[in-house]
Amino acid sequence: MDIISDMLTIVQERNGGIKPTHLMYKANLSHNQMKVYLNELIKKNLIEKNAVKNGVRIIITKHGRDFLLQYIRMKEFEKTFGL
Amino acid sequence: MKIVLTPDWFLGKDILIDSFSFIVLIIFSVLAIRSYKLNKKNRNLLYLGTGFGLIALAQMACIFTKLILYYDIGPAQAIGQAIIIGQFLSSVNIFYYIGFFFHNFLILVGFYIIYRLPQKKMYIGDYALVLYFILLSAILSVYEGFFYFFHLTAFVLLVLIVNNYYGIYKENRFVNTRLLIIAFSILAFAQLVYVLSKVGILFAVANIIELISYVILLFLIIRILKYGEKKKPYGYNIRHADNRSGKKRGH
Repeated sequence: MDIISDMLTIVQERNGGIKPTHLMYKANLSHNQMKVYLNELIKKNLIEKNAVKNGVRIIITKHGRDFLLQYIRMKEFEKTFGL
Repeated sequence: MKIVLTPDWFLGKDILIDSFSFIVLIIFSVLAIRSYKLNKKNRNLLYLGTGFGLIALAQMACIFTKLILYYDIGPAQAIGQAIIIGQFLSSVNIFYYIGFFFHNFLILVGFYIIYRLPQKKMYIGDYALVLYFILLSAILSVYEGFFYFFHLTAFVLLVLIVNNYYGIYKENRFVNTRLLIIAFSILAFAQLVYVLSKVGILFAVANIIELISYVILLFLIIRILKYGEKKKPYGYNIRHADNRSGKKRGH
C-alpha cells in the first residue's frame, strides 16, 4: 500500500505526466517491481498511460487522486491515535 | 417530580450541545471505518470507529430521551402507556429509565473500547468482568441518588484513555495526539463537574466544558481532513515517513 501511495504521490506531482523510468527512480523501485506495480495501478484505474511523441507518460486518474487523499487521511488518523 | 438535573433556563440548550457532540462523534466513527475499509488491515481502526459510533448512539439516545422529557411528545407517550399496562409509572418515566440506561451503557462501552485499543490481548473473563461493572454502573446511575456512578466511571475510563495517549504522544510528539489528549482531559474534567451537578448551575457548566472538548475534537477532524488535501504531504516516499513528528528538526 505504501509503495502504491508513493507512486501515486509522485505521479500526482507531475501534472503533465511522468516517464516510467523517472517514476521508477523517484519511487526507489527495481525494474521488476515497477512493472508489477504499474500493471496493478492501471488495472485498478488509479493511473493511465498516455502515448506521446517521444514515448509514454503516466498520469493519475480522478479515482487515483481520490484514493491517495483517502490514504493520506488514513495515515494521519493512524498516527493521531497511535494505531 | 424533577427527574433531570438540567436547570430550567438551560432546558433545550443542552440538547443543542448533545446534538453537536453527536455530529462530531459520528464524523469520527465514519472516518475511522472508511479508513479501515481502505485496506482492511488495521482492525484497530474498525474498533475505534465502533467505539466512537457507540458513543454517538449514546448521544442520540440522550437527545431522544430529553426531547421526550422536556416536550412530552405525543407518540412517545402513547408507546410508553402501551408498555406499562399497570400504569404505576408514567410514560415519561419509562423513557427516562430506558433512554438514560442506553446512554450510560453505550458511552461507557465506547470509552472502554477506545481505552483498550493500543493494548494487547485480554482474556474473555476480563471482558466479562468489565462488562459486568459497566452494566452495574449504567443501571445504578439511572436512579437519581446514584447518578454520579456513571460520571465517576466515565471519569476513570477517560483518565486511563488520556494516560494511554500520553504514552503515545511521548513517542510520536504529534500535534494531533496532543489535541486528542487535551480534548479527552477536558472531557474527563467535565465528568467531575457533573458529579457535583446537583447544584443546577454546575450542570450547565459541565455541559459547556463538554462542548469545549467536542469543539477541539472537531478541530482535530478538520486538521486530519485538511492535511490530506495538502500537496506532497510526506515528501515523495510515504513509506519512509514514519518518523514525521510535530517537532521541528534541529537542522
